[in-house]
Amino acid sequence: MKRIPKPVFFIVALLILLFACSAFFGVKYYEGDVQQTAIKGLSDIRWGIDIRGGVEATFKPDEMISGSDGDTATSDSENADGENTEITNEQIDSAKSIIETRMVSQGITDYELYSDYGSKRIIVRFPWKEDETDFDPVNAVDELAATAHLSFRNPSGEEVMDGSAVKSAAARVNQENGEYLVLLELNNEGKEIFSNVTEEYLNQAISIYMDDTLLSAPTVQAHITDGSAQITGNFTAEEATKLANQINGGALPFTLTVSSYSGISPTLGQNSLTAMGYAGIIAFILIALFMIIRYRVPGFVAVIALIGQVALSIAAVTRYFGVFNSFTMTLPGIAGLILSIGMGVDANIITAERIKEEFRSGKTLDSAIEKGTKNSLSAIVDGNMTVVIVSIILLLVFGPSNILSFIFGESTTGTIYAFGYTLLMGTISNFIMGVWLSRVMLKSIVGIKCMRKKWLFGGAGE
Amino acid sequence: MKKTMNFVGKSKIFYGISLSIIAIGLICNIIFGATLDIQFRGGTVISYSFVGEIDEEALRDTIQKATPENTVSFTVTKDIMNNTEDEDAYAISVEFSGNESIETDLQKSITATLQDAFPDNNFEYQETTSVEASMGFSFLLKCLTAVAIASVLMVLYVTLRFKRIGGLSAGVMALVALFHDVAMIYFMYVIFHMPIDSNFIAVVLMILGYSLNDTIVIYDRVREERRLAGRDADLADVFNKSATAVMPRTIATSITTLVAIGTVYVVAVIYNLGSVQAFALPMMIGIVSGCYSSLCIAGPLWVAWNTRKSKKA
Repeated sequence: MKRIPKPVFFIVALLILLFACSAFFGVKYYEGDVQQTAIKGLSDIRWGIDIRGGVEATFKPDEMISGSDGDTATSDSENADGENTEITNEQIDSAKSIIETRMVSQGITDYELYSDYGSKRIIVRFPWKEDETDFDPVNAVDELAATAHLSFRNPSGEEVMDGSAVKSAAARVNQENGEYLVLLELNNEGKEIFSNVTEEYLNQAISIYMDDTLLSAPTVQAHITDGSAQITGNFTAEEATKLANQINGGALPFTLTVSSYSGISPTLGQNSLTAMGYAGIIAFILIALFMIIRYRVPGFVAVIALIGQVALSIAAVTRYFGVFNSFTMTLPGIAGLILSIGMGVDANIITAERIKEEFRSGKTLDSAIEKGTKNSLSAIVDGNMTVVIVSIILLLVFGPSNILSFIFGESTTGTIYAFGYTLLMGTISNFIMGVWLSRVMLKSIVGIKCMRKKWLFGGAGE
Repeated sequence: MKKTMNFVGKSKIFYGISLSIIAIGLICNIIFGATLDIQFRGGTVISYSFVGEIDEEALRDTIQKATPENTVSFTVTKDIMNNTEDEDAYAISVEFSGNESIETDLQKSITATLQDAFPDNNFEYQETTSVEASMGFSFLLKCLTAVAIASVLMVLYVTLRFKRIGGLSAGVMALVALFHDVAMIYFMYVIFHMPIDSNFIAVVLMILGYSLNDTIVIYDRVREERRLAGRDADLADVFNKSATAVMPRTIATSITTLVAIGTVYVVAVIYNLGSVQAFALPMMIGIVSGCYSSLCIAGPLWVAWNTRKSKKA
């Protein structure tokens, strides 16, 4: 057997334990008074709304206004212009940007927001605010879906024009200097109002508000009579598109209604988190005891590798380094983690049993370990590869934008996605820790003199 | 050397056991029918917590009055975790008939009515799920498609990796074992009246992976034993030998997984976490079934298929 030097065991084990500590507890330091996170620990995991409580809602355009048959409910000029009454992707984006603007203005920053063009739905998921006291999803959802009020205000803050004057807004590039700008088109009624406004407030700032959030405050540089204005201001492409979407949001030909929603109060969630935490610790201790009692040294090595596997999976969830956003962890996510740890235990059991078998057929210590690890590899790899296939399918099918999007639209339930993610990360961790490093440790520890006894590796007594 | 267990010889008994469980499941399915969760069929459930005794009739009237145009039903369960010394805590979930989502205003008025009518019981809002029927159905289709794609790819993988022991037959028999396990989980949902929800899909996917892993470990051993025994060896012997050899591993792995998920289940019962219980229990059944189907169904079927083929040849 190609023996691995003795110190390797200690180095690998130490590195795994150090890594585990950093992944569980994180590394924080102070820059002045501000706590900085260099490495994220368990406490930095972003828990899904099923755990810490929150709201999930799906919005759809209200058919009363957008309905194509008997289109009399609206006097909007865009419909009167004979334009398509079909809801366009841009309109969905605009509606999405309304929700986004409102969420940010309420101080909710860790929301998830998807638009589904196929079924014309907008899906939003957000946790309760830290200081929220009346956990009422209905109010929260209604606030988001309320019709946006776009207003143009003069320097003294009075409203001079509202969203009904806007025909469309679009992000464009100035051909001459390559700057991004927003092209604002007004409808027939808007044209006149805007002409008056730009005349009266020439060289002054007109502020554009959505509800009570200031979007932009461009200065009027000319008296505009043709109803077509350019808003410039050193925009990036992204900023220009965002502003255009927001302005369009104030001029949508439909209102948003809530087509489905769910809310979970945070106490319920907190309970389940504590419970799953206890369950995890108890289960780990039981498994560790079983492994060490039944398989002795290989069992002990397996426990170290398992700690490493759990740590690596946790690191994949927290994204380890402070600069990355943590993955959202849900209850099925925890279940995926449990399954992958189960696979990790299985990999070690297969190897340990195989070593035992080789002892029974009369092999020496070294050749039993050599043969045992070699013969068990294909079963472990094949077993884990199938799980990898399952988890990749889950990621592709239940991701926010996925391979089945064209049939089913974008995902409404991200919880199964979390299951696939933790399962995939856990299985990859298993290949690194449970398959590769646990073998390295095993082949190294066998070189230590006091360890060179068959019974310590599951062989018959001396 | 330990005695070789005869799996193939007892295969008729195994098939009998499985077929009768499936038959019982089917009969239950016809009698009771399966319930789809509102995640899939659409509808609304609102949950509240409250403390102290309450008159169920008065409760029903109050809720019904708040929403005259809908028929509602509700279930009350004891909430063990939040019990205080002098008052019992309860959880109530109010389910609306029909499979459409409700207006947000309606929920507001129900919450307000409950709090007004029973001021002493400290009604608190816990949870809402409200799903539009068409969205629920599309989600169900999507889940089924995911299961189908995953199964096909797994069988393909087995077929490619186990060419030496008959490739396709190995893949198909592994698939039969997987159907067996999915059927077991499904019947478990039917018999216990648990609604089919996204947890069911997650459990099914997990068990597909787990059971196939079991099957693969055995196939892997068969592949190896067959190489050692040579082409002409009796397949039944080869399989029995392989299955016996992997038995200790199968038992050890099943014990550890069952212990881990059993722990989750027990903790969930203590903390009264319905969703986690509904997740853990079918998982345990799936693990037992996955283990059994690999050893007693997929293997003997594979032997039968290949023995017949070689007789014909």
